[in-house]
Amino acid sequence: MKAPLLLLLSLAALTACDQSATRSSPGPAGAPNDLAALPSGDLAGAGQSKVGSDIANPLEGQPAAVAEGKRLFVQMNCAGCHGYDLGGSMGPNLKDKYWRYGGSPGAIYRSIASGHPQGMPAWSKALPPDQIWKLTAYIQSYGGATASGDYQGALQGDYPAKTTSPPGGTGAQAGAKGGTAPAAQTANP
Amino acid sequence: MPTPFSHLGRITAFVALASLASALSACQKPPSPKQGLAVPVEHLEGWTGATANFAPNAAPGEWPSQGRDYANTRYSPLAQITPANVPQLHIAWTFSDGAQYGHEGAPLVAGDTMYVVTPYPNIAYALDLTKPGAPIKWSFAPNPSPMAIGKACCDAVLRGWALADGKLIYNLLDAHTVAVDAKTGKEVWRTKMDNVENGATMTMAATVYGDKVYVGNSGGELGVHGWLAALDVHTGKELWRAYNTGPDDQVKIGADFNPFYSWMKGKDLGETSWPKGMAVHGGSASWGWVSFDPELNLIYYGTANPSPRVPAQRPGLNLFSAAVWARDADSGMAKWAYQFTPHDQWDYDGVNENVLLDIPWKGQTRKAMVQFNRNGFAYTIDRQTGEVLVAAPFGNLNWATGIDMKTGMPIVNPAMQPKPNIKLENACPTDIGVKDWQPSAFSPRTGLLYTGMFNVCMDVTDHPQSYIAGTPYDGMEMTRHAGPGGNWGAFIAWDPVKGKKVWEIKEKFLVMSGALTTASDLVFYGTVDGWFRAVDARSGQVLWSQKLGSGIVSQPITYTGPDGQQYVAVYAGVGGAAMVQSHQAGFPARGNTLYVFSLGQNGLHGGPGMKETLATGAAPAPPPKADN
Amino acid sequence: MSGEPLSYLEAAGPAARPLTQLAWGLGAVSLVVVAVIAIALAAAIWRQRSTPADARALEFVGGSGEGLRWIYVGLAISVPVLAVCTVWVLMVLGQVLHPARPTALTLQVTAHQWWWEVRYLSPSGGEAFTTANEIHIPAGAPVRVELTSPDVIHSFWVPKLAGKMDVIPGAKNVTWIQAASPGRYRGQCAEFCGLQHARMAFFVIADAPADFSVWRARQLASPTAPVDANAAAGAGVFANHCASCHTVAGTPSGGLVGPDLSHLAGRTTLAAGMIPNDPRHLSDWIADPQAIKPGALMPRTLLTSTERAQVVAYLQTLN
Repeated sequence: MKAPLLLLLSLAALTACDQSATRSSPGPAGAPNDLAALPSGDLAGAGQSKVGSDIANPLEGQPAAVAEGKRLFVQMNCAGCHGYDLGGSMGPNLKDKYWRYGGSPGAIYRSIASGHPQGMPAWSKALPPDQIWKLTAYIQSYGGATASGDYQGALQGDYPAKTTSPPGGTGAQAGAKGGTAPAAQTANP
Repeated sequence: MPTPFSHLGRITAFVALASLASALSACQKPPSPKQGLAVPVEHLEGWTGATANFAPNAAPGEWPSQGRDYANTRYSPLAQITPANVPQLHIAWTFSDGAQYGHEGAPLVAGDTMYVVTPYPNIAYALDLTKPGAPIKWSFAPNPSPMAIGKACCDAVLRGWALADGKLIYNLLDAHTVAVDAKTGKEVWRTKMDNVENGATMTMAATVYGDKVYVGNSGGELGVHGWLAALDVHTGKELWRAYNTGPDDQVKIGADFNPFYSWMKGKDLGETSWPKGMAVHGGSASWGWVSFDPELNLIYYGTANPSPRVPAQRPGLNLFSAAVWARDADSGMAKWAYQFTPHDQWDYDGVNENVLLDIPWKGQTRKAMVQFNRNGFAYTIDRQTGEVLVAAPFGNLNWATGIDMKTGMPIVNPAMQPKPNIKLENACPTDIGVKDWQPSAFSPRTGLLYTGMFNVCMDVTDHPQSYIAGTPYDGMEMTRHAGPGGNWGAFIAWDPVKGKKVWEIKEKFLVMSGALTTASDLVFYGTVDGWFRAVDARSGQVLWSQKLGSGIVSQPITYTGPDGQQYVAVYAGVGGAAMVQSHQAGFPARGNTLYVFSLGQNGLHGGPGMKETLATGAAPAPPPKADN
Repeated sequence: MSGEPLSYLEAAGPAARPLTQLAWGLGAVSLVVVAVIAIALAAAIWRQRSTPADARALEFVGGSGEGLRWIYVGLAISVPVLAVCTVWVLMVLGQVLHPARPTALTLQVTAHQWWWEVRYLSPSGGEAFTTANEIHIPAGAPVRVELTSPDVIHSFWVPKLAGKMDVIPGAKNVTWIQAASPGRYRGQCAEFCGLQHARMAFFVIADAPADFSVWRARQLASPTAPVDANAAAGAGVFANHCASCHTVAGTPSGGLVGPDLSHLAGRTTLAAGMIPNDPRHLSDWIADPQAIKPGALMPRTLLTSTERAQVVAYLQTLN
């Protein structure tokens, strides 16, 4: 008889189907590992050393230093990432109050000198300290930096009442920074 | 004569046959093309006479590569979703991957699995389409270096991935190519392709033809040395690498090289058309699409802008930036090249997709390719010789007044040439062009191409730039604004033979999604403010729209699920170059959700019948169809 | 180095020769005028009036028309002389405006505080290269010079080869130079441009055409990686500490802030004609540029003496 054979075949087919379903069944579902669970790019800040973060900028507020810092900011290609108006694009906005690695002059100096893992180069080799202080003075002139004495407060989100920072930069979304910064300046790879 | 079957036997046989059929159809491995669902290509006759070779003729229900076929048509033969029923299209299931950067790729579907890869940190997911809600089958986290985030000019994106040789193959942002076993999600090989510290990233979709994986680098804004390489699909070993600038041996130009126009002929032009020492950091990366003609055995791909973006720093033609290559698919030796924008002064990369079409031309059929170039001209080029057949503007531009068809050179408008440190106002288009990388789609049923495009102009000031390894080598300070009409974007249908626009849909926001055409004369695209639309391919009438959670800068696809239904899938996760419009009111927030649509009322993935799925947790109930 | 005079009394090329001739000619006319006046004055003094000075001596004597005759004579002589001189000046200006035959070579000279950047363009568009403070030209051929400045007004002056041409920020002024025969011609910024204006010199070195071709080919050649271990280490130090300001074409060092150093060892002076280019002076310069040229934009680089020696060794290989 062919009918039982056909029945058998169909059963076999079903079994095969089940087997294939079993084979393709997943392992434990969800995030693949711990890294994926972290918001990409924002793993920094308070964890690093605070030594030196409360050092004041010896050139702070000096017009000649600010002008020199502005020149360096373009010449050293800083503007390519952080924007010609410091509003950020590939790199973070430098005139808002959000400082991933600290916004005191000492912390800004250290960021420029030592670099950061998400692509910020370390400039201490190429630039002597006075030039880094000039860059810091230029960044401070945009008002987003915190005073050297306010380092601890800024870590906790406590800013002094006085705000001198101008409203957010062109092309930058509110709250967008670094990892989520919009590509306002450049637009193709 | 005794009947072969008794009465009972006959019934048994019938049931058995029916159950065999239903069992097989429940398996759907691979989904069999259903009668009336897929429309055979050979019976079609478009308005323009343009046709394409749809090799490798994938199963109609699958979407196995970014372009779906070697010719990069992005045409699906599926026709279950039609202009008549598309208003009933609704969300079947969604999937969020948590990555915060622009989602630009097309999901791939092979067998009963969908494969997606996130932008940085480039996590791959295999989704099981046979189960309710398409659960994660496996995932793979390659842990690329975070430094790459700060070296990627325009968001930490990935434009696609490939399935071949039982592997999922894709590029990591930190300039590696990785292959993952498609069944298990285990890494098979990983090859370092470039140095991320010097600004090289990889964002293009790895593309596989035969046993070769074609990959290229990104980083024209950081002064990389652009190249495209072929890897062995089995081992990941680099077989050859062709640079886009430099002396002939680096560029892989030999005696065979025969460009159509004489100004691209000469020794070592990839080096001597640059100032001394500048070709080596002259950008000209390859971050777009690779097409393949299996009969000619040639691959076609474009090259990006020359670095730095300040033209005054690099007098010369700057070959072979902003150009297209035809190369032998096996040896990598160049066959011909054509530079779209010689001595590019506005950042008009030539990397956009080349759609390989066969077109009627002066009484003959010509093997052609069409590229909607960033510079605003749509080129129809003979893909055997590199001769430009048609070059017509498809959007608003003022940098050139036309293309000299004798020499193939653009006729540049001298008033729109930027000078160092002097603001040039209202140059059109901007650096992102009239169209960027977002791929167009072709329908053999109309013979037309469909593409999203931009209407944006810029005020630009060039700042001469130092080359400092790993920092921007860029120098364009820009503000961008909408061109005439005030609409930032549009979606058009284009006649590649006549070089004419057939219809246009204007959009307030950029249209930076890929396009998808189907055999039922539907075209799908999305906007940067998050509208996903289905359009009548013939009339350009919008038939259906759905607002998604974020802006759409990805590529829609369509496939047949194991339940026999046609699905449409698209990622909503704004980012990439679309962020140039982020200052506009109403610009959406970032997102990372894959949306999958179908017509089904009580589908596999939701509805009242899914109550048990919740209760049974890890062992979900079998799909309803299998219960029959 | 600075011993060579900035002499404009002799010309060394067709762009300067009409000017020099004009200078000599006008000088001669002026000398004649001065001589005539001096003789007349002396004669007047010698012929002093015999009558004692009184009020009558101040009376106007022209009433008779006799005195005016001398004025007519004077005008009749000076007006044609001045007219001839004016026409001559205009003709000379016309002569030096353009070279007699089209220029085969174009240089883009950028005047910086306080050094000269020189870019050689080629007719084909590509193959441009850049050098600093020393301009090689082929003798006997006119060379077009396009002048720009990114900072303040300077003036480009090679007395033996051409007249002065101001360099204006935001504008492109064009002049040309030509040396009749091979030689070395000093040039100087001729418009006050800040603290080190006086030390903003350069040299034009006219080579025989064959020598110039050799020089140009060497400028276009790619640098060879240094063999010497010290120099090889210096290449690394250079890439880390110097490359963001200085270019060595064909290597990853591509800074635009300071002078292009691609073939530094082939130059004779450092710091815009200020000090000789030898290892000792180069080392001193790197150690403390501010001590040698206060106000120069090159900072102290804080290299160790070993690193400095390595960089000097590396720079010596760039010939």
